[in-house]
Amino acid sequence: MFKKAAFLVLLVLSFMACDKNDDDQAQQNTPVSVGFLHSFYEDEVSVSSNTIQYTNGFGTSLSITRLRYLISQVSFTNQDGIKTLVKDYHLVDLSQDNSLTINDILLPPGAYNLKMRFGFTEATNTSSIYPDLNAASWNVPENLGGGYHYMQLEGRWLDPGDTPDEPYLYAYHTISAVQNPGPENTREDTSIEIDLGEITVTQGATQINVNMRIDQWFENPNLWNLSELNGLLMGNYTAQKMMQENGQNVFSLASNMGD
Amino acid sequence: MTQKILFIFCLLCIAISCGEDDNENQGYSPTPVNIAVPAIFSQLLPPPEIPINNPLTQEGVALGRALFYEKKLSADNTLACAGCHKPNQSFSDQRRYSIGIDGIAGFRNSMPIVNIAWNTNNKFNWDGSANSLEEQVLEPVINEIEMHNTWPNVVATLKTDPRYVTAFSNAFGTSTISQELVAKALAQFIRTLVSGNATFDNYLLGQATLTPQEEQGLAVFLDENRGDCFHCHGSPSNPLWTDNDFHNNGLDEDFTDLGLGDITGDPAQFGLFKSPSLRNLAYTAPYMHDGRFQTLDQVIDHYSEGLVFSPTIDPLMKTVAQGGVQLTPQDKAALKAFLLTLSDPSLASNPAYQNPN
Repeated sequence: MFKKAAFLVLLVLSFMACDKNDDDQAQQNTPVSVGFLHSFYEDEVSVSSNTIQYTNGFGTSLSITRLRYLISQVSFTNQDGIKTLVKDYHLVDLSQDNSLTINDILLPPGAYNLKMRFGFTEATNTSSIYPDLNAASWNVPENLGGGYHYMQLEGRWLDPGDTPDEPYLYAYHTISAVQNPGPENTREDTSIEIDLGEITVTQGATQINVNMRIDQWFENPNLWNLSELNGLLMGNYTAQKMMQENGQNVFSLASNMGD
Repeated sequence: MTQKILFIFCLLCIAISCGEDDNENQGYSPTPVNIAVPAIFSQLLPPPEIPINNPLTQEGVALGRALFYEKKLSADNTLACAGCHKPNQSFSDQRRYSIGIDGIAGFRNSMPIVNIAWNTNNKFNWDGSANSLEEQVLEPVINEIEMHNTWPNVVATLKTDPRYVTAFSNAFGTSTISQELVAKALAQFIRTLVSGNATFDNYLLGQATLTPQEEQGLAVFLDENRGDCFHCHGSPSNPLWTDNDFHNNGLDEDFTDLGLGDITGDPAQFGLFKSPSLRNLAYTAPYMHDGRFQTLDQVIDHYSEGLVFSPTIDPLMKTVAQGGVQLTPQDKAALKAFLLTLSDPSLASNPAYQNPN
């Protein structure tokens, strides 16, 4: 009993001693969250569904049954050029609400340039080294270059000439582009740097939203014909390069609200 | 600052007032215990997920083990958890449908329950109907076609056994037995059921070799143009050999069992079932949620030529229009040989998993 009392008295003294520093720290850093939103042209995409409700730039109707993608190297650079890396990598899964926001970011108020990367760079895309991604079966087999997926976008699509109750399937999977799939393959970095421009962190909670325009994966600059490119894309070097080109303008800042 | 001091002062008062109760629980000092994590899991996977409110202790695991083999959990004292989750069958059941105490068969095959501590999405059962292991273990006891008991009856029965009164006291610091504590103890034991000593595990550790045919089978497994098994069933980087997610793998055009969709009510999830681990396939026949396939050959044939379309079929079943991935007989044989390297013969004989009663 005496030990408990003594411990708590010490705790009181510690609080008193640390109080000034705590207050200073609280003024310096403020919580920041980065949320991930998704849209298909003007439509918000908030849940995966097998309902065929979107039409891509090629004119193909499709559904989105699964969307997972990897963001890495999330960094804030202040106006003095000091870069703060806040997240090494983050797996976004449309079906998991808790994956749609990166929390636990603390930054001093001010203006920053926000950058992140779609996928892993070649230097960080090392097979098997991320336990949580291994458990999520996010790996790419060695014969396809190894490392990890960048994105899994899946669903069904309709050929206008077919009966509407028998859609086809697509698995738009992006990885490092690989040449010569097999034991002698060579891999090429197709990750995409995302420069979201300037954001302002204000005192209090700051929510930053990043929007992925899913429609752009099928359109700009390569109009995507799902009847030709719908599956088995991981080992298709040309398709991976086209995906990389289409991904250049997929992400943008949706809003920057200080609460 | 004043508020903080007041808060700490209150804390001090609470500590003083609680002193008597602390003394009452002096005999409660369970020994923390860790799951025996296989070497390859330590290398590749996150640590096992243990709920903060149910840490593993030697006493809790021992109690859970006794309860797992305890037939008194069933209404007529004839059926234990182990009756349908047998150690020599990777804690599953070789019967297509397990038989409950009233002689009535269920409608799904008993799921293997190993490596559950790495079920990171916290969805349990073929249909994801339980959101935690502690929740999962409650249901079979009261299921009318399984143990057909009631929890008040289970608790009353266990209270009459002095061994259990002592065991609960040792495990949880209370002699008041409750269904929540039974569930906690069972969950603790089940989390210790770990399988990570298969030939392929040892191959990854550099302690075993694969035959040329097994290596060829691994290549089929990892080839997007042939097996394409890795998207749902893990890889050498994911030794769980499951994604712990739900899929419609092209078994039926129409569903008699809605699976995940029956729980969520979402038509997009009709006919989706949890991907089972490919570990210990040598011991877990029959296969699929309804045990429709008696042999591994039939399973491989299904993915090769037997896929059928339905509105919720998983887009990863890319070759459904052709009926499947069209493996050659050589590829099929190789794939089977590889899959059998994922079986762990040491699981069934692990002394820590045997019936202690």
